[in-house]
Amino acid sequence: MNAPLHRLAEVAADPDAYVVAWKQSHPGRKVAGVLPMNFPEELLHAAGFLPVVIQENRDPDSDGRVILAEFYCGYTRNLADQAAKGKLDIYDTYFVADHCVQLLGAADVMRFKAPGTPIYFGQFIASMSEESTARKVRNEMEHIVGEVERGAGTPIDRERLAESIRLYNTDRRLLRMIFDARREGRIHLSGAQMQDLVKSSMVMDKAEHVALLEQLLTEGIAAGGSQARVKLHLSGHFCHAPKQELLDLIEDCGAMIVDDDLYHGRRYITTDVREDLDPIEALSTWYFDRNVNVPCPTRVQHDADWDTYLSNAVSESGADGVIVLMAKFCEPHMLLYPELRKMMDERDTPYLLIETEHEGLPMETIRTRIEALVERISRKATVAAAL
Amino acid sequence: MHTMGVDLGSTTAKAVIVDGTGAIVAHRVVQMGAVSRRGVTAAIEDVLRESGVERGDLGVVIATGYGRRLVPDATRTFTEITCHARGVAAMSPGTSLVIDIGGQDSKAIRIDSLGLVDDFAMNDRCASGTGRFFDVLARALECRLEDLDDLALAGSDDLEVSSMCATFAETEIISLLAEGSVPADIAASVHRAVAARTLGLVAQVGRANPVVMTGGVAHSRAAVHFLAKALGTEVSVPREPQITGAYGAALLGLESLQGETTVIGHAVEREHRHTGQLANGHDCTTCSLGQAKYQPIDVELWTASVAADRRP
Ligand code: SF4
Repeated sequence: MNAPLHRLAEVAADPDAYVVAWKQSHPGRKVAGVLPMNFPEELLHAAGFLPVVIQENRDPDSDGRVILAEFYCGYTRNLADQAAKGKLDIYDTYFVADHCVQLLGAADVMRFKAPGTPIYFGQFIASMSEESTARKVRNEMEHIVGEVERGAGTPIDRERLAESIRLYNTDRRLLRMIFDARREGRIHLSGAQMQDLVKSSMVMDKAEHVALLEQLLTEGIAAGGSQARVKLHLSGHFCHAPKQELLDLIEDCGAMIVDDDLYHGRRYITTDVREDLDPIEALSTWYFDRNVNVPCPTRVQHDADWDTYLSNAVSESGADGVIVLMAKFCEPHMLLYPELRKMMDERDTPYLLIETEHEGLPMETIRTRIEALVERISRKATVAAAL
Repeated sequence: MHTMGVDLGSTTAKAVIVDGTGAIVAHRVVQMGAVSRRGVTAAIEDVLRESGVERGDLGVVIATGYGRRLVPDATRTFTEITCHARGVAAMSPGTSLVIDIGGQDSKAIRIDSLGLVDDFAMNDRCASGTGRFFDVLARALECRLEDLDDLALAGSDDLEVSSMCATFAETEIISLLAEGSVPADIAASVHRAVAARTLGLVAQVGRANPVVMTGGVAHSRAAVHFLAKALGTEVSVPREPQITGAYGAALLGLESLQGETTVIGHAVEREHRHTGQLANGHDCTTCSLGQAKYQPIDVELWTASVAADRRP
C-alpha cells in the first residue's frame, strides 16, 4: 500500500487517535463532533473548529447498552455507549442538524452524559417540495450559523467561509475523481480502501486530507487487479460505515464493487457547494442539491427519489447486481426499501439485502448469501451466452 | 468420466457420484453431531467404495453446503442454494420453488426452467422450523423424534403458539402441557406455526408452483403435510430429499467438464406428492414416506431408474 493510502487507512481505523493527536498539535483549537448526515461542516471549519463526523467504534456496547432501547439502530446505540464510557469527551462541542428520531435520542444521551459539553441543534426541514421549504431552509441555515458562532464565540468571516467551501469542494472533487475512475474500471481499489478515503475525510483536517489525495493521485492508483466475475453496486447504510470485513467478504466471494451510494461513500461526496453564490445561500442550496444528486429516504421530495437514482446508477456503472446494506432498525431505510425492491424487480436486477448490526454479523451465513448472489448472476450469464 | 458432489451440512454429510450422463452411480448420507471432517470423509469413502470409482479417476469434486470450504481436495465450491436448484431441476424438471429445510437452516429458492436461481431467501440466525427445532419439540413432548410425525398428524392444529424460537419453544410447550393441552394437539399446532413461518421465507422470493421440498426435514410426513396445507398447494418430495444439493454439485461438476450448461432432466415418478389437503396427512399413508419414516431407499433400483429416466 502506498504512503497516502496507508495514512488515510490509519486515520479511518482510529479516528479518536487522530482527534487526540490533532488537539495536541493545535493547542487552543477546538474539535466539534458532528452527527450525520447533513450538517454543513464548512461552517465549523470557517469558525476555526476541526469538524469530525463522529464514527461508530468497534468496541462491544457495554456501559451504555441499556440506555437506548433495543430497537434503536446500531450506530445510535453505539453513540450512547461511547457517551456512557466517556469516549466522546475528546470533543469540545457537538453539532446536530438532522431529525432522525433515533439520532436525536443519541444526542439526548450525549447531552446528559456530558453535561459540560455544549451541544447545538439545528433541524432542516425534511419536506423538500413545499413552497415554504426554501425559506425555511435558509432561515434554519441562518440559525445554524448563529449556533456555530455561539459555539466558537466569534462571528464567521464570510471570506473565510468561502475559502472553507472551496477547500471542501476540492476534497469532494478529488474523491469523486477516484470514485468515477473506479466505476469506469480505470483503477482498482478495494471496497475497504474506498471507505478509508471517505471516512478519513470525515475525520481529518480537510487541507491535510486534500494534500494526501493529491499525493495519491500523483503517485497513481493501480488499474485492474481483480479477477472478479460479477460487478456490484452497494446501496444504503446511513450514518455509519459498514464493517470492512463485510466489504472484504463481498470481494472474497468473487464480486467487485463498482459503485455505491453509501454515506461512507458517494453520498458524502456527491455535491459541491456553489462558489458563485453568497456562502450562506450556497449552503442552503447545497442542502437541496444533495438530495437531488443522491436522494435520501429521510427527506421527501416529489421530483427526486432514491429508487430512480439507484436504477440510473446501476445502468451507468453496468453493475450486474445490487447489495443493499441496511443497518438493523434504521427506520427511514426500512420504510423505503420496498420501493427499491420494486424497482429492482421491475428492471430484473438481482439484489441481496444484508442487515448489519453493531455486535458482529453471522459471517458464514452472509458468505453463503453473497456467494449465491454471485453464482446466480454468473450462471445466468454463462447460460445466456451458451443458448 | 465421473464427478462427485459433496454436501457438508450442519448435521449431515452427503456425497453423490454421477457418471458422464448425469446418472447417480452412488450416494451416501452420513449423520454427524456437527460439521465434521470425519463425517464428510466417511461419506466420500462410502460412495467411492460403492461406486467402485477411484478418487483419482473423478473428473472434478464440487463441494457445497455450510461446511463446503472444509471439504478436502474439492476442485471448487458452490453454495447449497445453487446446488439444490440444479439438483432439483434435474430430478424434477419444471420445479419453480424449492423449499430446503436442513438441520440448522431453511431456504426458499425460486428457480427458472433451466434450474437457475431467480431468487432465494434463507433464515438468518433463527433455527425455527429446522431439524434442530424438531429435536427440541420432541424432547419437550417427551417423545422419540421418529414418533413425532404420527403424534402431529393425529392432533388438531388450532392451539395458539406464540413463540417459534427454538430457544423458547421448550418453555412454551411446557406451559401448554401445564395448561392441559394434549401432546398431539401441541405437536400439530407447532407444526402449523412452523409452516407459517416457512411461508415468510417463501413470501420473500414469491410463491411459485410446482413446489419441491428437500433436506432432512422433508423426511417428516408431518412437516411436509403442514407445509403443503399452509401453502395450499401440492408439495413434492424426492425419494431421497437430502442428496439434492450433492447431486446438483456433481452435475455442476459435470457441466464444468463438458462445457455444457443445459439441464439434465429426469422424470418425476419417484417422488411422492403431498397435498396437505386431507386431514391429518391421511393422503400420505400409502406413500414410501408414509409407510416407514427414514426408510432406506433401494440404491440399486433408484440409480437404475434415474439412469433410465435421463433425457437423451
Ligand atoms: S438514519 Fe438510520 S442509521 Fe442514521 S441514526 Fe437514523 S436510524 Fe440510525
